[in-house]
Amino acid sequence: MSAFIRTITTPRLPSLGVPCSMPLICFVHDRLSAPRPLGEHDTSTATFGPTSGHGRGRPVRGGRSRLTTRTAASVFVDRVSKRYGRTPALVDVSLEVEPGQSLALLGPNGAGKTTLLHILTTILRPDSGMATVAGFDVVKHPREVRRRIGMVFQESTLDDRLSVRENLEFHGLIFGVPRRQRNAAIKELLELVELDNWRDAEVRSLSGGMRRRLEIARALVHQARILFLDEPTVGLDAQSRSLIWEYLRLLRRSREITLVVTTHYIGEVENCDRVCIIDKGRVIANDAPDALRREHGQELLRVTVNSADAFRDITRSHPEAVSIAEDRLAIPFEGSEFIANFVNRYGRAIDAIEIERSSLETVFLKLTGSELRDEKASHTEQMRSIRRRGGELTR
Amino acid sequence: MIDQLEARTAADRSVTTTPGARNPTVLWGVYAVWLRELKRAVRDRSQLIGGVSRPLLWVVILGIGLNPYFRGEVYGEVRFVVPYTYLQYIFPAVIVLNMLYTSVQSAVSVVWDREFGFLREILVSPLPRGAVLLGKVLGGTTVALGHGLIVLLLSRFVDVNISLARIGQGLLFMALLGFALTTLGVVIANRLRSFEGFGVFSNLVILPLYFLSSSIFPMDPALTRTQTAVHYPDWLIFLVHWNPITYAVDALRGVFIGFNQFDPATGPVVIGAMAVVLFAVAWWDFRRA
Repeated sequence: MSAFIRTITTPRLPSLGVPCSMPLICFVHDRLSAPRPLGEHDTSTATFGPTSGHGRGRPVRGGRSRLTTRTAASVFVDRVSKRYGRTPALVDVSLEVEPGQSLALLGPNGAGKTTLLHILTTILRPDSGMATVAGFDVVKHPREVRRRIGMVFQESTLDDRLSVRENLEFHGLIFGVPRRQRNAAIKELLELVELDNWRDAEVRSLSGGMRRRLEIARALVHQARILFLDEPTVGLDAQSRSLIWEYLRLLRRSREITLVVTTHYIGEVENCDRVCIIDKGRVIANDAPDALRREHGQELLRVTVNSADAFRDITRSHPEAVSIAEDRLAIPFEGSEFIANFVNRYGRAIDAIEIERSSLETVFLKLTGSELRDEKASHTEQMRSIRRRGGELTR
Repeated sequence: MIDQLEARTAADRSVTTTPGARNPTVLWGVYAVWLRELKRAVRDRSQLIGGVSRPLLWVVILGIGLNPYFRGEVYGEVRFVVPYTYLQYIFPAVIVLNMLYTSVQSAVSVVWDREFGFLREILVSPLPRGAVLLGKVLGGTTVALGHGLIVLLLSRFVDVNISLARIGQGLLFMALLGFALTTLGVVIANRLRSFEGFGVFSNLVILPLYFLSSSIFPMDPALTRTQTAVHYPDWLIFLVHWNPITYAVDALRGVFIGFNQFDPATGPVVIGAMAVVLFAVAWWDFRRA
């Protein structure tokens, strides 16, 4: 299959009369899914595991046999749990990311996304369960894992007294990238994230969005194939946010990268192949955005009522309604006559009404019974940025 | 397609697990951490200002001010308690002071890195923790040595003439001392939950160590123990004798002005032991962290 795609993406194509847009689409598809043939579910577990696992000495050491059957996955998580004191942060989380895929971990703040990412990047150890990244167990072979991954933390981990280039160079050195390769990678990545004009600027002088881009570039200096990003767009304005995703898209087009991104901005997960919804430490759903919409999507009627009585009335006659605030309800419905009937019946008790088409928001609401608490998140973001600034001032 | 995968995994293996490629990698990492320390120190203007103004204050104001009082009068005959001027006497101690400040300050950046996130960047790298520690300590040592050299530039001014051979020996001691002091700073920094500011360090660690090191007043070994006890309370004598910095100061005095209160071998031995023991403690801390 991939061979076929390659042939039609050759530059000579337009002369063959293929519609102009097609090569482009195919090209994207090719890059995104280049390794996918390897991971096509049934065949991968059947043919790859055994042969590449033991016989060829694929780098799984000391793993159990079950593990080796899963080495085709870039990230493999099996019933991982973690608790902080008495608070469970992750409960029996299992998931899998195939090479070249992008996965969005979606959930409210405190859902356990960052904890999961920290376990995968060997910063935390799971209490129970097992996880492999690039075929290596994160507990048994953390250094092998670290060599193969790039991580972009939620908070900036740049040295703001060093220049853009020096930060990248430092990273290359501690990852043991040879000089020539390092210089080439730095040059290429700086161009990619459009920071080559800022090469010698101290990081202190960069904006938040530029720092983020620099961190993404840095995570790839050592040719990491698996990139973890923890809330890469948090605290950025809308324009910078979409830019970050644009760069990530570019990156995935130019090289083969598996992407694991956490976010609590629901709109952003459309950029990913798969969405894994996490709430209170549990995986609630894990599928392609379209599939999620198809399976769990629902049309919602959002209603703001003007009295507690009306609220009670409506919840009684519509037990499927989800209460969002004291005076706000979301009612799943089908068919347009529902709206007419509803307005007829409760028109006087309603201050505002809004129809929401099937979207990931409605999926999330249905699966978790609550909305993504964006306002709350932005508040903690503010606190964080204040703290960060305060930190800089008191240095 | 299977071939592709196998080719890729084979490439992965050859890149990352060649046995010989491991050690140079670690050395590059140490170099990176060292270089970063150096760059930060050079760009931190407040640290540079401190490094220059501190010796000037201690030598020019305190040293010149106390110079006339640094003598004893025996039967009307004026003689120096220690056969040196006060300026000469405190000069080696000011070197130690300047290095003490600088190395502890650079070690404190461990706390900064932890608080402001940079440490995470290092912790998700394959670099072993020990290499991170070594780079950090060597960086601090280099910067401290530089600040010690700033003081040495004042040597003419305080009538200390140093031969080249002496400078060599002095630099060796200073390097070892810088290493020990930076490690001391790292050990302390590792035990801090939060960073309260450098003032705490200055008042609780650096200045007590400095004042209790026989740096600004001599405990003249020419006096018997009873005679010393007449001049100084027991607790002070006790603290000075148990303070390792006392012997570091003594070692530098031996080198630069040829005066030793203790056996000349004691100083280097104590500095060396400090370096080894503290580094072992710091190493242990880092591996656990």
